[in-house]
Amino acid sequence: MIQFSQVTKRYPGGLTALDNITLGIEHGELAFLTGHSGAGKSTLLKLIAAIERPTSGAVTVNGQNVGRLSRHTVPFLRRNIGLIFQDHKLLFDRSVIENALLPLSIAGFDRREAMKRARAALDKVGLLKRERAMPVALSGGEQQRLCIARAVVSRPALVLADEPTGNLDAGYAIDILNMFKDFHRVGTTLVISTHDERAIQAMGGRVIHLDHGRLADGA
Amino acid sequence: MRSWLAHHVSSFADASRRLLRTPFASGFTALAIGVAIALPASMYLAISNLNRLAGDLPAQPEISLFIAENATQGERDAIKQKLGAHPAIGRHHFISSEAALERLKAKGLADITAGLEKNPLPDAWVLTLQQASPGAMETLRRELAGLPGVESAHADSAWAERLQAMLTLGRQIVLLLSALFGLALVAIASNAIRAQILARREEIEVSRLIGATDRYIRRPFLYFGALQGATGALAALGILVLLGLAMDGPVSRLATLYGSPFRLASLGAAEGVAVLGLATLSSWLGAWLAVSRTLRKFG
Ligand SMILES: Nc1ncnc2c1ncn2[C@@H]1O[C@H](COP(=O)(O)OP(=O)(O)OP(=O)(O)O)[C@@H](O)[C@H]1O
Ligand SMILES: [Mg+2]
Repeated sequence: MIQFSQVTKRYPGGLTALDNITLGIEHGELAFLTGHSGAGKSTLLKLIAAIERPTSGAVTVNGQNVGRLSRHTVPFLRRNIGLIFQDHKLLFDRSVIENALLPLSIAGFDRREAMKRARAALDKVGLLKRERAMPVALSGGEQQRLCIARAVVSRPALVLADEPTGNLDAGYAIDILNMFKDFHRVGTTLVISTHDERAIQAMGGRVIHLDHGRLADGA
Repeated sequence: MRSWLAHHVSSFADASRRLLRTPFASGFTALAIGVAIALPASMYLAISNLNRLAGDLPAQPEISLFIAENATQGERDAIKQKLGAHPAIGRHHFISSEAALERLKAKGLADITAGLEKNPLPDAWVLTLQQASPGAMETLRRELAGLPGVESAHADSAWAERLQAMLTLGRQIVLLLSALFGLALVAIASNAIRAQILARREEIEVSRLIGATDRYIRRPFLYFGALQGATGALAALGILVLLGLAMDGPVSRLATLYGSPFRLASLGAAEGVAVLGLATLSSWLGAWLAVSRTLRKFG
């Protein structure tokens, strides 16, 4: 599903975040992305969603070279990817349910159908009772779960999660990882970046380890 | 299709809510746009009123048609008939050579006329035009001058031409001013939208990250711009009505003094709609420019 071929990403300023990466991720695979801070985990995920473009090499998703997409086709790529951000990126001027509805509104879903799906997604992450609340009224873990609900509401075939358990205590982290397990079970491809070694052991999945922008092992 | 319509409806509702949520900012923007429209529009009104006034003036431009001394009775009758039937001619009346001489005498020029053994003045027709434009006047003069039995035709159209030239100049100035203020309007609108965009940067960024097209992101801002232009146009119409009320009294008093039935005309319905449409369109354009610039910056 995802193929990196000799991908190098150099940020303006000369810093090489990813160095000659070649790897493939299959349909329905669950892959963990590990490595020290600054190893290039977020950068790798951003390349898949065409948020950044490779300096050299090719990133293909479903056979599409995403580094070459025009600015008019990028939105359609992203609609098939559920993105979970390190910093949530919720909209604080609208309610929980409105946040969950956003991807469906963007994709042009019928409002009634969208409501049904948004409620189902909120239910799955345990936020259905808070649908009318504003995001500021949610705890850090709840905000994280809302971000997950928003990412999966349009049932994407691919979910990219950047440190989804980053600042959560162990209990919450297990909850969230169990959610991902459920998605994995229904055939969703998942790429999750994390520091959390315990979690990986608990989940059992492929590990892609990055060290200073280079592939270390597990690929 | 239905969801597309739904997004239009919700974008419109969202834009109106945002407009109403900051009544002072929206009000001042509307006022700025209103003034930018009201200035050229009131000049336009002044000129079209002047134009009407010029048409109403009792001293209409006239053409004097002098009959040749040796014109036959048949030719004289043909001329009379021609003047009566001509569609471009308003009023016409005949001044015989005797009557003309009497007038001279009445004006105290008897001394000059007394010495003449023969009346030197020709018979003449004096006529006014249905519509007093310099072009029509010259065409008619040339046509009449060519009639058999006519010695010559004179148009005293100099003042009319001068007035028309001034009105044309005025119209040109209004046009230029409208273009300038139109630009100002686009700038004002685009600036107001920039504030909106800054306030909603997060939303734009997040929407893009989860697959929103530029078109989707632009939509609520375009509605906001259009609404802002429309409220600005309403402000302009309000300003024009107030100006009209302020001017109406003095103008009709002046007109009464001159025994004229002239009354100030205000903007017609079609012109009002045109102002509304143009303001909405330029403000929409301002919004489009502002959003597109921001979207390009996001890359
Ligand atoms: N937009 C950017 N401009 C310049 N340099 C950047 C940019 N984004 C990331 N970098 C650099 O690229 C390197 C890799 O960054 P990246 O965010 O991919 O690391 P990470 O593995 O996600 O780290 P963390 O675990 O702290 O999130 C870092 O050294 C970072 O400073
Ligand atoms: Mg990171």
